[in-house]
Amino acid sequence: MTNDERPTNDRDSSWWHRHRANSQRKRAERIRVLDEELERRMPARYATQRARRALAVAGGACLGLLWVDAAVAWILAPSDTAMIVNFVVLGILLVVGIPLAGSLSAITRGMTLKHERELDEREKTARLRAFTTAHRCTSVVMILVMLVTMFADRDGRDSQIPGAALFLILFALLVTHVLLPLVVAAWQAPDPPADEDEFDDEPAHDTTS
Amino acid sequence: MPAEKKDEGNVHNRIPMLRAERGVSRRDLATALGVHYQTIGYLERGEYSPSLHLALRIAAYFEVPVEVVFSLDPFPRIGSSS
Repeated sequence: MTNDERPTNDRDSSWWHRHRANSQRKRAERIRVLDEELERRMPARYATQRARRALAVAGGACLGLLWVDAAVAWILAPSDTAMIVNFVVLGILLVVGIPLAGSLSAITRGMTLKHERELDEREKTARLRAFTTAHRCTSVVMILVMLVTMFADRDGRDSQIPGAALFLILFALLVTHVLLPLVVAAWQAPDPPADEDEFDDEPAHDTTS
Repeated sequence: MPAEKKDEGNVHNRIPMLRAERGVSRRDLATALGVHYQTIGYLERGEYSPSLHLALRIAAYFEVPVEVVFSLDPFPRIGSSS
């Protein structure tokens, strides 16, 4: 049976498998290049837990800033002050937050961003731990938001929550949900093992005791 | 006992010794096992205990029984009487 004579479904299916295998191969290659890049760009100062945790705290502060922005919008919007605060906060997040997210990704080696199949069993365990902790934190944040909304807005049908505040609360919640695992993973990351493969220079550490 | 408690869940291994003996780098071993090379480092430092599947694959790689590579009790030092 020639290719032309095959049922259309078979041809579609083989085209789909070929396309999928091709795209997986390309992605694996991209990830390999990215890993090498992360390896190269990972500054030595982040080899210590203190430095990594300082960066994680900075990441947490950036997420906190979004919530401050939402709170300011709730209290002051609609007003020029609320708008100015909003633009200042977004500016800070653009200038500081994006490079910070890049550094956090480098520290965690993209653990929270990659597909599960691209991680080994240790990375999967570490990622699960980070997601579990982050999920718990996000739950606490959502409970707090719910309580604050309940008690701060007691006007019932007459309540007037500013639209900007509503949007910013949802935006802060989304960003927290997406990026908190990255921050937690950086906080929990163990010290990387010393890169020693030259047996003559530095013998491998034996855990036998 | 505190010492026992500290040791709880800890799996001792001879990966560094086997690696050094056979001149295998961490990266070579990691590539052969399909894991990140740092995972081998964490295993060697005793900071990560492998799954049964990975433990068996490491043993198969070095062509030794799994109990030669991993043990719940500390391995005796070479030359020690005990």
